[in-house]
Amino acid sequence: MAAADFQDPCGDTGAQPTVLIVEDEVLIRMLLSEALRQEGYAVVEAANADEALSVLESSPSPDVLITDVKMPGSIDGFELAAYVRRTKPELKVIITSGHASPDRAIGVADAFLPKPYDLALIVQRLRTLIEAT
Amino acid sequence: MSQIESETSTGAAEAVLVVDDEVLVRMVIAAYLRDCGYRVIEAASPDEARLVIEHDDEGAISIVLSGVAMPAQGDGFELAQWIRQRRPDLEVVLAGTPARAADAAGDICQRGPMLAKPYEPQVVLDRIRWLLSRRPRPQT
Repeated sequence: MAAADFQDPCGDTGAQPTVLIVEDEVLIRMLLSEALRQEGYAVVEAANADEALSVLESSPSPDVLITDVKMPGSIDGFELAAYVRRTKPELKVIITSGHASPDRAIGVADAFLPKPYDLALIVQRLRTLIEAT
Repeated sequence: MSQIESETSTGAAEAVLVVDDEVLVRMVIAAYLRDCGYRVIEAASPDEARLVIEHDDEGAISIVLSGVAMPAQGDGFELAQWIRQRRPDLEVVLAGTPARAADAAGDICQRGPMLAKPYEPQVVLDRIRWLLSRRPRPQT
């Protein structure tokens, strides 16, 4: 296989939808990532919004972004969602937060899930969003 | 039951913890090891790695593949020393460059759950370089 063959940088077949998870709490990120992989999604993990920007600007776009709000780094999850809505309007966005008001998600996200969230619920919302596209 | 226990109870494969503060390197190395049949946990810093290991009550993690210099986050040598004291059963592999990380991942893959490598480490390195070349440079 040559370097030019792998246009998909996520290392996956490209058949399954790809989800970019942005979460600074590693145990939550791990739990959600593994749950979604078991559901058959390709998952890319970012520990903050700056890492997510690196992924988004270097790679083919994922299908769904799931982001926390309050994270260390230059921008927060709302700002990341606003950037995505502006530059990649086809990318579905789910915002999760334990503190932020869901009102701020209006216009920049397709769904808002308060933390702590139930993994089954987030999988269901994800499936609904992807089926709607 | 800890979070890692709840995951391993699903019958997941032997786990490798990949530690790197460069997301594009971590993403590709982790994807390769998953393609090799491993369960892979990603940590973006030594602090995250310590937290994951502290919650690995069932001993699901057997290998830690870590970067060395992580300027804002501590370094791989300190992490290796910490692991040696807390979890001497873990194999720790330090890789200071993407090329070394790709080679190390190839070695881990070679003795992993699959009979053959899905692709060569050079492909992993080429993928990392391709991604890094596409990343916009910071404005000065």
